[in-house]
Amino acid sequence: MTIHRVIRKVQRFQGWFGGGAALCLMVGLYLGLIGSPPDYYQGEVVRIMYIHVPLAHTSLLGYTVLAVGSLWYLWKRDPIVDNMCQAVATLSAVFTALALGTGMIWGKPTWDTWWTWDARLTSFTVLLLILIGYLMLRTFVDDPEKEARYGAILAIVGFVDLPIIHFSVEWWRTLHQPQSISMRGVSISSGLLVPLLFMSVGMSLLFSYMLMVRTQLLYLDRLLHAKKGRLLSQFHLSKSDS
Amino acid sequence: MRNLYIRWGGVCIIAIAFIMLTYNHYRDNLASLAPRQVKQEAPAGDIRVLGMVQGGTLETRGAGKATFALLGESASLQVQYEGPPPDNLRELKILILIGRWNAATQVFEARDIGIVPNYGFIAGAYLLGLLPLALLLFAMSRRVYFLYDEIKASKLYEEE
Amino acid sequence: MGKKKVGMVVSLLLVGGALGYLALGNFGENVVYFFTPSEVKAFSTDYYQKKVRVGGMVVEGSLETYPDRLGLIFQLTDGEATIPVTFEGIPPDLFKEGQGAVVEGYWSGEHRFESNLIMAKHSEDYMPIELKRAGVELPRKDFMKSLVE
Repeated sequence: MTIHRVIRKVQRFQGWFGGGAALCLMVGLYLGLIGSPPDYYQGEVVRIMYIHVPLAHTSLLGYTVLAVGSLWYLWKRDPIVDNMCQAVATLSAVFTALALGTGMIWGKPTWDTWWTWDARLTSFTVLLLILIGYLMLRTFVDDPEKEARYGAILAIVGFVDLPIIHFSVEWWRTLHQPQSISMRGVSISSGLLVPLLFMSVGMSLLFSYMLMVRTQLLYLDRLLHAKKGRLLSQFHLSKSDS
Repeated sequence: MRNLYIRWGGVCIIAIAFIMLTYNHYRDNLASLAPRQVKQEAPAGDIRVLGMVQGGTLETRGAGKATFALLGESASLQVQYEGPPPDNLRELKILILIGRWNAATQVFEARDIGIVPNYGFIAGAYLLGLLPLALLLFAMSRRVYFLYDEIKASKLYEEE
Repeated sequence: MGKKKVGMVVSLLLVGGALGYLALGNFGENVVYFFTPSEVKAFSTDYYQKKVRVGGMVVEGSLETYPDRLGLIFQLTDGEATIPVTFEGIPPDLFKEGQGAVVEGYWSGEHRFESNLIMAKHSEDYMPIELKRAGVELPRKDFMKSLVE
């Protein structure tokens, strides 16, 4: 089985991902901002949850894809998988930064502080640093094969941060509240849960769609450079021949 | 390329329509008066007043009855509350009161008491969350079109 | 070429430093984000006049305000021990009796916690006010229990 065939198949459904994302986000935004009641304790500010939580969980999902893709790359050495890894890292970094940003905006009216170094916030910042480091490493290595290999190893090592982020609110004392959806059950009543689910599904679909576009972009970019390079070298060869 | 612009034009129109819908939904809740304004202008009908419960003035008499002074920047307002037991009523707390100003007795008759809704934070969070994603996606899609065009135009493209 | 090498080293340091911080640095079990009132009561004199954070539940009915200035006095508990806390300033909107709070400040020798920052801690349950008034309880982590454990 070649990954190319899989990608081509998935690519055919790209429009469905984009459309599905738009639909889910529209319904989610309507329910979240207009159609849902305020929380008994936080009041209206709870609506920030519907944007913050989907962004945060999608960035974790994105990093998982990056780690799996990196393993796959080390195994098969397929350049398109590497393109996907690079694309997913950029997008995860953006989603992580936005999750931190919206979290800060939620923290001010609820906790009364923009930022505090508790275990959840710290481990999530570490995730952003790992992703920035990964992307920086990739720009500084010249050989594309080495670039992909070093990056993959780094991404797999960085995966240790994910369980730490997830369990930080259970293992340690934090200001951040524990998981609302966990082994204890769901501690969000249905009126507030439905918009959250719509936004979560929508955000995951949006992430997948953006990932497809970005992978395509990197692939085309690399293709263009490779072909241009080949043409140039042929040009040089023919020049030196004459 | 035209398809891309048409699609994003649609997205923009829907986004603007949605923002207007949301704004209309909250418009009545957005404006609140300061205690000084209430005293000077004495507006009739239901109004929303923003201020802090002055320390040492809160007196509760039985369930769902309370009197206190609401402190603004330069004036305070005598408030009388009757209704379901308020969860948030406490001294030194910034609150939004909904009710009417009784100009004759100079007392604000509050019907509902709530914490400050902080709509600015909500709008900020949604803009920060969604706007960069939309811009990034638009830029990426546009670049993909450009790359296709470039590959075709530079005759590097070959059918595989 | 030299620039690239520097860049590589910097990016590796960034990731390595971040992970190292997680593994050994001031994180996790080495540093507790906040102490509990029981731990505060057992503080040795080393901790006096040292800035610490304390987390707990604001005891129902313990909240007092000053008539003449901005400030609060309240009791903070973890279910086992209770400490009195004083605070100057305006507390967070969500600060309430019977709710969690993390306070930052100093434990003085007179066994009173002088705080200059209150952070309201909210739990992970969310529901409309009507359900809460109807007495609905959603499954959630017991804040008190998780403090004592």
